[in-house]
Amino acid sequence: MRWAMVINLAKCMRCHACVAACRVEHFLPMHVTWAKLIAYEVDEGGMVDVSTYPVRCNQCAEAPCVHVCPSEASHQRDDGIVVVDSNKCIGCRYCVIACPYQNRTFLSKDKNPGYFPGYEKTAFEKKGQKLYPHQVGTTEKCNFCAERIDDGMSRGLQPGVDRDATPACVNTCQARALTFGDLDDPDSNVSALIRKHNGFQLRAEYGTDPSVYYVDYRLGGAPSNVAPVEAQTGSHIQHLSSVDRDAYERIYGKKADAEVKS
Amino acid sequence: MKAQTKRQWITTHEWMVKPMRQKEWISGKGILVWLAEVFSALGMGTYLVGLLAGLGGVTTGAWWATVLGWALIVLFKLPLHFLYLGRKRNFWRAIPPFTQAWKTSWFARGMFFSIVFTGAGFLQIVLWYLLHWVDLSASAADIVTVLAWIVCIIAGVFIILTGVYCGFAMSYCKSLPFWNTGLLPIVFVIMGVADGLALTMGVSLMTGKDVPIETLEFWSRILLVVNALLIAGYLIRAYRRHFAAELAAQDLIKGSTAWVFWILLVILGIVTPLVISLVTMFMAEANAELLLIVAIVCHTIGAFALKYSVLKVGIYRSVLPGVA
Repeated sequence: MRWAMVINLAKCMRCHACVAACRVEHFLPMHVTWAKLIAYEVDEGGMVDVSTYPVRCNQCAEAPCVHVCPSEASHQRDDGIVVVDSNKCIGCRYCVIACPYQNRTFLSKDKNPGYFPGYEKTAFEKKGQKLYPHQVGTTEKCNFCAERIDDGMSRGLQPGVDRDATPACVNTCQARALTFGDLDDPDSNVSALIRKHNGFQLRAEYGTDPSVYYVDYRLGGAPSNVAPVEAQTGSHIQHLSSVDRDAYERIYGKKADAEVKS
Repeated sequence: MKAQTKRQWITTHEWMVKPMRQKEWISGKGILVWLAEVFSALGMGTYLVGLLAGLGGVTTGAWWATVLGWALIVLFKLPLHFLYLGRKRNFWRAIPPFTQAWKTSWFARGMFFSIVFTGAGFLQIVLWYLLHWVDLSASAADIVTVLAWIVCIIAGVFIILTGVYCGFAMSYCKSLPFWNTGLLPIVFVIMGVADGLALTMGVSLMTGKDVPIETLEFWSRILLVVNALLIAGYLIRAYRRHFAAELAAQDLIKGSTAWVFWILLVILGIVTPLVISLVTMFMAEANAELLLIVAIVCHTIGAFALKYSVLKVGIYRSVLPGVA
């Protein structure tokens, strides 16, 4: 069994719901995010293109962070999830530097000022601290909501199918851009998606064998992934049209003004 | 027709997409790592040179050089590394046998090497002290000599490992192409030994010149030339290796770190000691001593500059292919 996630870049609409869900689920400190959305624009002489890439710990099968960790705080579970035992972490930050995906965060004091800096911790924060005691001086990262998976499976639920056993970000994604399942099972939802759309891993050339796969018609360069332009960019209409009218025209073949007026 | 000028804005998580420098091991508290790395190289070089100088027969200069090298590792390098840790009370978890991480982690290996060296180095210092300053009976001297040889071999091996592991720890990181090369540990070790030769010369000057300074200068000359060539090769390789490595090399040669590289490392750390060691061959001893002190100071500045330059220009690869 190896848990994996497939991210459909064409469906992601940069709503940040996954980031928020992760924050709430793990009571993340103020300035820490485990799941991130990389959003960037490219302006080629007035033709603006906006792209969004959700990233998180890739739970690599050959994880450099696990290899370099001197205290075995970073370790890999049997189901492939890489977790950090903050009770063992010495805070050397070697894993932060060694991760080629830069998905680890060192929790320093300034990153954890409390949700209401200058005020006493709220009851919510205190409760959260008990559930997820983020320890200053250690390293953190996404753990695929391992606690949800473990709890759900102990109740006979199936991760990726049953919500109570599925990572919070996957549950929350409104566009259903995130899919979770067992990579070792050829009939699982993730295996089928990867097969069908030529799913690819980020920077596979590093030899880290990530468990997060992407589906996109551009980034992977796989011919079978070619999707209608609208499918890829439809979710970005509001951004593109607000940024540049030429881009809107490029996508829809008509003037933005006319569309807005109608 | 509009000019097709290509521009790019990164709106979020710039550090993951644009080639950005690592900060963990050089900025803020990371300065401690830099200093620890410098003392690691200086300690390794000085101890090793002192050890080799005293193998034929313990001298006061050789003994003091080993003491200085040992102290630089034990009193500076290790405490600085310790102070850097975010969770100091857990540090014992990184030391074998409390961890099995030494199988893959250069950091854990380094902890082990340093601890063995601390013990073996201390024993060597004590045994050499007995041999050099204490009047031992013939049989006792024989036993101490044999013991000293055994301990010297262990300490010698582990000081090399202690000096070299830093380079391997950094070169392991695929995320930073400028570091990710097998040349890095070699550059660090050779520069460390060259600096060690200089510090041993200084020790010898203060302890009656019983370590032959001409021999130390001869080797210093050779190592400086070798290291200059290695650094040049390293930069050429960086240009060919990867975009991020090329950026790092450009930063060193003509960027914001260029003054450290050219003035402190190349001119003060390599060229000046090399010129001095050549000039002193034809000078009177009294004048040569003054220049020698200048060379030792320059060598030490070069040691600080080398580690600073390399740590400072560690530039990450972009997470996304085809971007930046």
